[in-house]
Amino acid sequence: MKFDSIFQKKLSRKEFLKLLCSGASLLVTENIIGKAALALPADSTGRIKKNIKAAYDLVSASGNDPYQLTIKAIQTMGGMEHFVKANSTVLIKPNIAWDRTPEQAANTNPDVVAALIDLCFQAGAKRVNVFDNCCNDPKRCYDNSGIQKIAKKHKANIFFPSPWNVCQAKFAYKSPMENWPVFREALECDTFINVPIMKHHRLTGLTLSMKNLMGICSGSRGNIHTDIGLKLADLANFINPDLTVIDAYRVLLRNGPVGGNLEDVQLMQKLIVGTEPVLTDAYAAQIMGYDPMSIPYIASAINRNLGKADLDQANILKITV
Amino acid sequence: MRFKKLVLIRRFSQIIFLLGFIYILWATTYPLTSSLPSDLFFKTNPLLMIIATLSERIILKGIIYSLILLLLSMLIGRYFCGWICPLGSCMDFANFLNKKKFIAPDKTNIQARKLKYLIFLIIFGFALFKIQVSWLFDPIVIFGRFVSLNLIPAITLIIDQSFISLLKASNLSPQLFDVYRDLQQSILGVKISFFPNSWVAFLDIMLIILTSFYVSRLWCRTICPLGGLYALAAKCSPLQRVVTKCIACGKCNTHCRMGAIKKDFSYLKSECILCMDCIYDCPTQETFFRFKSLRFKHPIKKSEEKNGLSRREFLIIALTSSLSLLAIKKSFSQDSLAIRHPYIIRPPAALKEDEFLNRCIRCGNCMKVCPTNGLQPVIVASGARGVWSPQLIADIGYCEYNCTLCSQVCPTGAIKKLPLEKKQKTKLGIAKINRKICLPWAKNKECIVCEEHCPIPDKAIKIKEEIVDGKLLLRPEIDEKLCIGCGICQTKCPIRPIRAIKMVPEKSDRM
Repeated sequence: MKFDSIFQKKLSRKEFLKLLCSGASLLVTENIIGKAALALPADSTGRIKKNIKAAYDLVSASGNDPYQLTIKAIQTMGGMEHFVKANSTVLIKPNIAWDRTPEQAANTNPDVVAALIDLCFQAGAKRVNVFDNCCNDPKRCYDNSGIQKIAKKHKANIFFPSPWNVCQAKFAYKSPMENWPVFREALECDTFINVPIMKHHRLTGLTLSMKNLMGICSGSRGNIHTDIGLKLADLANFINPDLTVIDAYRVLLRNGPVGGNLEDVQLMQKLIVGTEPVLTDAYAAQIMGYDPMSIPYIASAINRNLGKADLDQANILKITV
Repeated sequence: MRFKKLVLIRRFSQIIFLLGFIYILWATTYPLTSSLPSDLFFKTNPLLMIIATLSERIILKGIIYSLILLLLSMLIGRYFCGWICPLGSCMDFANFLNKKKFIAPDKTNIQARKLKYLIFLIIFGFALFKIQVSWLFDPIVIFGRFVSLNLIPAITLIIDQSFISLLKASNLSPQLFDVYRDLQQSILGVKISFFPNSWVAFLDIMLIILTSFYVSRLWCRTICPLGGLYALAAKCSPLQRVVTKCIACGKCNTHCRMGAIKKDFSYLKSECILCMDCIYDCPTQETFFRFKSLRFKHPIKKSEEKNGLSRREFLIIALTSSLSLLAIKKSFSQDSLAIRHPYIIRPPAALKEDEFLNRCIRCGNCMKVCPTNGLQPVIVASGARGVWSPQLIADIGYCEYNCTLCSQVCPTGAIKKLPLEKKQKTKLGIAKINRKICLPWAKNKECIVCEEHCPIPDKAIKIKEEIVDGKLLLRPEIDEKLCIGCGICQTKCPIRPIRAIKMVPEKSDRM
């Protein structure tokens, strides 16, 4: 039956039924495919806190080689085998938000990322994912930060997050982050390693590990800035990073978080490794000369009992590489 | 059925150039590593180059390549139209789909084909009056805009969406996801660009291709000014169609896609695009294309009627066009510059408005290459002279601080090629804060997303610390000396639908 014949001649009953059936079957298949394609993002209650006990609560390492610094600091913590199980999927979340070079200290040092990738693979990881949700053009950020090149060289899987591949955050308590879209890769990993760079940030004082978690959020990121302390504390509680590695090799002291002036960058040659994000952030804030309680997200987390920051009681080791 | 060797070679060449054209524009994106220069087709276009040179009264860089192409067509005729022009190839394909064609009588053909000379003369006349309008009818930029603004975004969107559907249907299979991510890294791009005004480019091209569906190559015969220029050059070419034995079957006359073969089987050299069809249509197999030689005498008598424009017609055209020009020139004059929409932000380091509009050939390269999708075509906002010129719409995308791609791909230098350090100090305008809707100013909430994103190393957005209701508030203020008007603050401002911080083209360096 020619398609245009239905406009020209009378339909027989058989032809009418044929048309009806084909139309109906088309609708059904479209519905099935459409449902799959347009399905709403799944809900997620976040990653479960693992409470991995390492050799120390915090290790603060200083030395002039960022790669060796990372390797030694993790070894002192008890080795990557503590955090990464064989055949597991690891997410390394560095800060690649800006179109800046490593010397300008707006993005995580690529050598630190490289060392972590190597350690994960040595511990038997099956797959190491690296991504960030960039503020500038993603391709430029990935290229100029040097992280894409080094991650590919070390066989990690670096990609751009897809805004449709998200889960909606659900909380047991009332939270301003309720229903916020979070990239699925950040939730579906066995180990979450948060690798921020310590730098100045006008609104919160300092960008530390909890601030770095903004990079796993999709949606309107500008809106996180209202009540930022509350939202970031909830987000850190939702993700529960297993390992926090704060890169303080080069530190941007002013005009953060983008920077650009090389005079604003101080060579601090430090690396802070911890298991508890709030504690690690508090310690990092302290060595930068900030009162931890003046950083809104640390204060919010402590006030609402979402983390501890007893720096006096914590088991802290300082090493020099 | 004869083996149509020459026709096959021509079709092959058409496909290669069409795909090459699309490939070049597809590769016109960050990091610009393509082996072919992104302005290849525009720089080798004699119409654009000559008219831009004339209207600017300067010698454009690279005009020599386009002149070489023009000289080549003095030697072998309108090979460009038949063998290279990507728009022509699309028309041929549309024409191939329709078997029943309208064959115009000689007289209509002769009258109609004069129109393209008229259009060419008008464009030329405008150029003498320092107004460049070659972009209006040039086929290469029309096709370039279609490919950059419609075709590539549409294809990438379709590939992207089908991958997303497939991925969701396959429950996010990791192997498929890796393929998708590799595609994103290589050809697809992270963000699918979108041009709200591009539907006009689509209408343009549809009109041209649909007309050729009914009358083969109607555009090339009657309107195309580039074809007109090549036709003028082709008149003196020594390459000729020769029929050694004619049985007056009329096949070549009815088949000729340009209507170049007349009823008496003589042909118009300026109309012939060397498609090579008539060689294989000829039942006697006695049609050839040969270079003129003294020994050979053409058996078909040339008709007495003169081809092309007569002296009288030329004078009438020249007179009417220059008169109409004077009238139009009046409306384009300096006085009306002030009336022209002042609220347009041009790409970074664009020339001053008058020079910019003369130089800009509206190829759409800058809009294609812009990594943030912020460069968008103007349709009516800057007057008749500014149609298809680029503008930065900071609501969609901003000017990337470390990027000079638009100046690198501009074929005529309408966007100056500045070193990065100078471009980073070029003012596009300045940002202004609307304190009535800005969160820290109007609602006493914390925000300063604009300050966070400001790429100026010393921050063009300064913070005013104020204590309101016992709470320390950080309120943004613009330092107009430092602000270069890149617009990232407007793009990232979370206030919708009207952003609390907006770019205005005030104090820009090109004012």
